[in-house]
Amino acid sequence: MLPSIAVLIAVGMAVYVVWPLLSAETAGGPLPLDVTVLGDLKRRRLVVYDNLKDLEFEYQSGKIAREDYEALRTNYLGEAAGLMAATQEAEQLKQDDAVVEREIAARRAMRKSQPKIEYKCQACGYENPLPVKFCGECGARLAVPGKKQG
Amino acid sequence: MNQVGSVGLIAALAFAAYALVAGAVGGRLRSPRITRSAERATWGFFLMITMAVVALEYMILTNDFHNAYVAEHSNRDLLTYYKVASLWAGQEGSLLFWTWLLSIYSALVVWQNRRKNRQLMPYVVSVLMGTGTFFSLLVFFVANPFQELWANGTQAFTAPDGNGLNPLLQYHSMVIHPPMLYLGYVGMVVPFAFATAALITRQLGDNWIRITRRWTMVPWMLLGTGILLGGNWAYAVLGWGGYWGWDPVENASLLPWLAGTAFLHSVMIQEKRGMLKVWNVALVILTFFLSIFGTFLTRSGIVSSVHAFAQSNIGPFFAVFLAIILFFSVTLLFLRLDHLKSENKLDSMVSRESGFLFNNWILLALVFAVFWGTLFPVISKAIENTTVTVGAPFFNKVAIPMGLLLLLLTGAGPLLAWRKTSFQSIRRNFTVPLIVAAVAGVVMFVEGVRNLYAWMTLFLSVFVTICILGEFWKGARTRMRTAKENFAVALYNLTMRNTRRYGGYVVHIGIVLLFIGFAGQAFKTDSKGLMQEGDLLRINNYELRLSELVSGDNPNYEYTRANFSVTKNGEAFTSMHPEKRFYKASQQPTSYVAIHPTLSEDLYVVLAGLDPGTNKAIVQVFVNPLVMWVWIGGVVTLLGTLLAMVPSRVEREMAEMRQAQELIVQAGDAF
Repeated sequence: MLPSIAVLIAVGMAVYVVWPLLSAETAGGPLPLDVTVLGDLKRRRLVVYDNLKDLEFEYQSGKIAREDYEALRTNYLGEAAGLMAATQEAEQLKQDDAVVEREIAARRAMRKSQPKIEYKCQACGYENPLPVKFCGECGARLAVPGKKQG
Repeated sequence: MNQVGSVGLIAALAFAAYALVAGAVGGRLRSPRITRSAERATWGFFLMITMAVVALEYMILTNDFHNAYVAEHSNRDLLTYYKVASLWAGQEGSLLFWTWLLSIYSALVVWQNRRKNRQLMPYVVSVLMGTGTFFSLLVFFVANPFQELWANGTQAFTAPDGNGLNPLLQYHSMVIHPPMLYLGYVGMVVPFAFATAALITRQLGDNWIRITRRWTMVPWMLLGTGILLGGNWAYAVLGWGGYWGWDPVENASLLPWLAGTAFLHSVMIQEKRGMLKVWNVALVILTFFLSIFGTFLTRSGIVSSVHAFAQSNIGPFFAVFLAIILFFSVTLLFLRLDHLKSENKLDSMVSRESGFLFNNWILLALVFAVFWGTLFPVISKAIENTTVTVGAPFFNKVAIPMGLLLLLLTGAGPLLAWRKTSFQSIRRNFTVPLIVAAVAGVVMFVEGVRNLYAWMTLFLSVFVTICILGEFWKGARTRMRTAKENFAVALYNLTMRNTRRYGGYVVHIGIVLLFIGFAGQAFKTDSKGLMQEGDLLRINNYELRLSELVSGDNPNYEYTRANFSVTKNGEAFTSMHPEKRFYKASQQPTSYVAIHPTLSEDLYVVLAGLDPGTNKAIVQVFVNPLVMWVWIGGVVTLLGTLLAMVPSRVEREMAEMRQAQELIVQAGDAF
């Protein structure tokens, strides 16, 4: 009796394990990135800020001599500035990418939202697959929809 | 029930092997559904191993002596909590237990990361379950605890009673010592798995380090606690008056702890300065390797030890597994060297970074020395065919100076600034601790502390303590000035703002206390005597009078008890009752040591037995100074580690900020 229950539990678990394989690939496509370039830069900047905060605190508590404090501070600020510049650059790149992406998305959306227009040649009856001004089959001028002919 | 256990084991093996492959494939194809399936198989592995553990525990608790393991390691009259502990008293059970702990860690890792670190997780699952596959293979095929008991090799039969738990293991800290130690050993697989995943996916920033920080601290803490509980057991049960004998099995547990300590320190340099990336990966590999090696050493019987329980023929399997780990991880490390370039360089030899680096070198030198000394008997046997055992004198000679250097760094390191520290800063931080320590040193010398190492230990302990207290004092005073808080509030906020740092300081205080306890060893005294009722034994300023010798019996063991009344400086002090026991089920004698602990010294009395000729009691007495501080130091270290694991305020703020940024990024992406 007990061994059969044990086997049943094992089989049940096996079904649970195999289940995701049977379903269609879940939305979102491939595994998402854990760390993006931009995210990594931001985190590194936060670390430098943290270091600066620590330095400030240690200086105030008298742990660090003035000359050390000033030298280290300059160093950290330089590091932060470098990271900031790199971040801006990456953001700019990302924005450029975004502009292009948005443009493409907008065009796609526009095309989808437009009523389907047929480019059927009135001369030969050929159904042109793309929006064209002249028929791909016989070369006759097509009537562009929404525009006056002529 | 044996069948239930076997079903659990074989199903667990199937899930582990599946997850090993599915994880790797899912990661390679970047497929969420294969990854999800591999993750679920990890839970399946956990469920099935749990089933096997429950089956075995059920048989132990219900005295089911047709199971060979139960008949060998338990008996009817054993106390219930010792019965529970029988699970890890023998080879087969302890390997099953090991595997179970692995399954718990793996299931928790998968649960914690079910929405995070999607790129790393398939490989993490693969590594965890690779280890799981090895151990379930071992438990199922080589050391299966679900065997029937056979009479004359032909007929299954049920024993009327079991052979009982090894009497040496019937001690309260022995019930929790092995689980702690195992949790420590097993847990090191988690940082190793993340490091491997990071190597494979080339995500070698400090993401994996941040993920595994707590996953390293937990096993490190449990391993340390386990080691000290083992010391406590040896001290209270073995009756030779000490808690650490450089036994191979003790060394085996110390090795991954030392490597783990090095890792916990060096990761800070990578987080703060983006340096030592190769080093950190190497350390994590070493720590995991030494964990498995420790399990191997304890289990294989390759080196003889007073407490290498449950030895058998599993050595070669472990050797192969260790070779696989080493080959796989070192190859991977070399393939990824290009991705492990340092973001910064070492600015100065006098800086926090270099302090950490020295600490690492010393710890690793210590690992090497202990490793070498532990394996020396094996190596000498292989080369010259004579077993040369390396004893405590070798280990003490090497370990004490290194330990003292580490102690120095414990105090000095945190006072050095990152990047570089000028002479002026050094003078500012070290003047007061040095003066106080020097005064204490002179006082100790005048008071008669003439042993060089003991004197240095105590001198450094004062120095380090003042350094650390100074850190708390200066920090709190600054907060009082800048945030207008009173001292208590300032101290609290200071600690909670950066629990990692101040928890670390508390751990350092714990280490100082441990060293104070170790220093007491230099002043140990002992005395022996054959005594009959009414006799006196003197040691230092104690007098022990043997008032009576009693014999008795209970279901578990027979005993002879010596009742002593003790005076100190001529005044009544305490009474002590050491015993010599004879366990019935296992037919073995043991000593029950009587200890009177105080903060300054322990009085430790052993009844070694009765002299066969005269029937007088053979009594051995030790006065062990400062031993209590070892246990107190252990508790402080434990509390400090817990404090360091509390999310600090800064950390929470950063996490919130990150979350907000991620939301913005996500919103941007959606747009």
